[in-house]
Amino acid sequence: MPTRSRRKAAEPAGAPVGPPVAERDPALLKRIHEVMVLTRAVEDRMVAMYKGGDLLGSLYTGHWHEAISVGAASTLRQDDYLAPIHRDLGAHLWRGMEPWQVMASFMGKATSPTGGRDGTLHYGRLDLNVYNLPSHIPANFPVATGMAFAAKYREQDRVCLAFCGDGSTSRADFHESLTMASVLKLPNVFVIENNQFAYSTPLRMQSNSETFAMKAVAYGIPGVTVDGTDALAVHDAVAAAVARARAGEGPSIVEGVTMRMHGHAEHDPADYVPKEMYDEWSTKDPVQLFENVLIEAGVLDADSAKQVREDARQAAIAARRKALADPMPDPSGIEDGVYAD
Amino acid sequence: MPTDSGQATYLEAVGLALDSEMDRDPDVFIIGEDVGQFGGAFKVTKGFLEKFGPRRVVDTPIAETGFTGLAAGAALVGLRPVVEFQFADFISCAFDPIVNVLARHHWRTGDPMPVTMRAPFGGRLRAGPTHSQSVESYFAHVPGIKIVMPGTPEDAAGLLVSAIRDNNPTLYLENKYLYRRLRASGPLSLEPIPLGVAKVVREGRDVSLITYSAGVSQGLEIAEELDKDGISVEVVDVRTLVPLDVETIVNSVRKTSRAVVLHEAAKRLGYGAEIAATIQEEAFWHLDQPVVRIGAKNTPTPTSPPLEDAVIPQPAQIAETLRKVARA
Repeated sequence: MPTRSRRKAAEPAGAPVGPPVAERDPALLKRIHEVMVLTRAVEDRMVAMYKGGDLLGSLYTGHWHEAISVGAASTLRQDDYLAPIHRDLGAHLWRGMEPWQVMASFMGKATSPTGGRDGTLHYGRLDLNVYNLPSHIPANFPVATGMAFAAKYREQDRVCLAFCGDGSTSRADFHESLTMASVLKLPNVFVIENNQFAYSTPLRMQSNSETFAMKAVAYGIPGVTVDGTDALAVHDAVAAAVARARAGEGPSIVEGVTMRMHGHAEHDPADYVPKEMYDEWSTKDPVQLFENVLIEAGVLDADSAKQVREDARQAAIAARRKALADPMPDPSGIEDGVYAD
Repeated sequence: MPTDSGQATYLEAVGLALDSEMDRDPDVFIIGEDVGQFGGAFKVTKGFLEKFGPRRVVDTPIAETGFTGLAAGAALVGLRPVVEFQFADFISCAFDPIVNVLARHHWRTGDPMPVTMRAPFGGRLRAGPTHSQSVESYFAHVPGIKIVMPGTPEDAAGLLVSAIRDNNPTLYLENKYLYRRLRASGPLSLEPIPLGVAKVVREGRDVSLITYSAGVSQGLEIAEELDKDGISVEVVDVRTLVPLDVETIVNSVRKTSRAVVLHEAAKRLGYGAEIAATIQEEAFWHLDQPVVRIGAKNTPTPTSPPLEDAVIPQPAQIAETLRKVARA
């Protein structure tokens, strides 16, 4: 695990705590792997689309976030609530979002989940129990407490899993949500995706805390830091937090430590990132690491891993073809729906 | 719990409507600071915790962003939160979830956000610059929020019932000066009063006074005085700023050919500017006089009585303006 100087006294970033890989459900492992690979394939395709001028504005990607988004989302039931952010394409795909719909959102197409009214990363679908957040990423957490509140109110055993970045932890939304969720004992799991930078702001300028998970102490709830490039480490830590929330014992924080391998968005050359950081983290590709783990455990062989990648590549190509062919929206009804009936 | 005495105060009317909607719909719950065990800073929800329990009457930490965002999430999956801001002045702490989460969610996604936000607002209680604000204009500019400002106990009840049943984020602003000063003239109806329907509360010939909230009772008193001098004032209670009942306002102005718009909020970019502009767009050729706006001076609301009275529109000033416009 690459380290940073400020983290020297922190607890070591957690490894998987569940059973050995060979003793786990192979179908679940394969599904996690497939969605991680698909996430990467779709995002790589969209980077090419951005460069080729297919997209409207910028493109927010989650390279090196795949283990966090898929590792965490894969702990949930389909009726649990999910509040992903812009690095979590993997969580959306896990839930059943179609890659072409994501591309359509970045293209302002009529077929995007918002019909082109919103765009880019704002494509969450409530029919998949996924919240569609505004550009104010930290606004995710208060809404997530509300979905968890509703589950508790109705005496359902659903939980709400919400993501935020390291930058979001500085906002009032974060503090107020953690305060509310812990005082009201809401079935929330808060996953902090620590990717070292909030746009251009590095960790040392974002927080004086040694870890983000340690903030949990102040709220009287569990907090754990895990290797955010290790899908099983994330999965195990989040699964424990989900079980706790489902049992009515309240919220938890899980911090996944990773690196933002692209700019804040594709327009951003991110020349403020020291080259050594990229070099150091380039050996920690979560998708490759998980593939290695599965091959080593005999869950996958090299040929089937190659096939998964090829299928994902073809799926991304087909998604682009559909999104490109889809129509642009008709502006005639633009004033409809400002208010609900 | 509030019971209808047959002459309920404005404050009791709010409580009676809340109680009735909570009885009617198990998805309605109350959330805010000090609303449960303390019964609310103004005692609107006194007895609610005992009757409905802590599941439906939720005391929160001091976290306006937190509980407003919580309400949004709960509404998103089908509950009907009624958020209480202890003072409208504190609503600025929740500007982000209101404007960026609640207001635009339905337009973006088609998913409704049925959240009612109650907030006591306004001056004349000598409460100073950050406990006396009128906040309606901040939010009237934002598409996606309805704004309800009752001026009578009857409307306070019926409009709150409608706000809670409405599928949109609705800002329901209670004039705290009226809380214990206005009483209903009989048993309250808890039937919904539709949002977006203004009311001519006094018919008149010479000038239309377009107003809302405390301006209604104030306007009616002044109209009675002016009547003695032979000036006939028609008083129109706008009741809901969003949606705005343009037709009722314009019909009144077409009849009287003169209009004065009154509110307690600052005149500059106050909601009266929208009403005045709408009147000139829709009824310009019926006007005998320019539309005149009356609002507070463009200063924060002072605490000390002579200072506050110098800032907020006073009856003499309102009467004088109406007299001038009617006779010009």
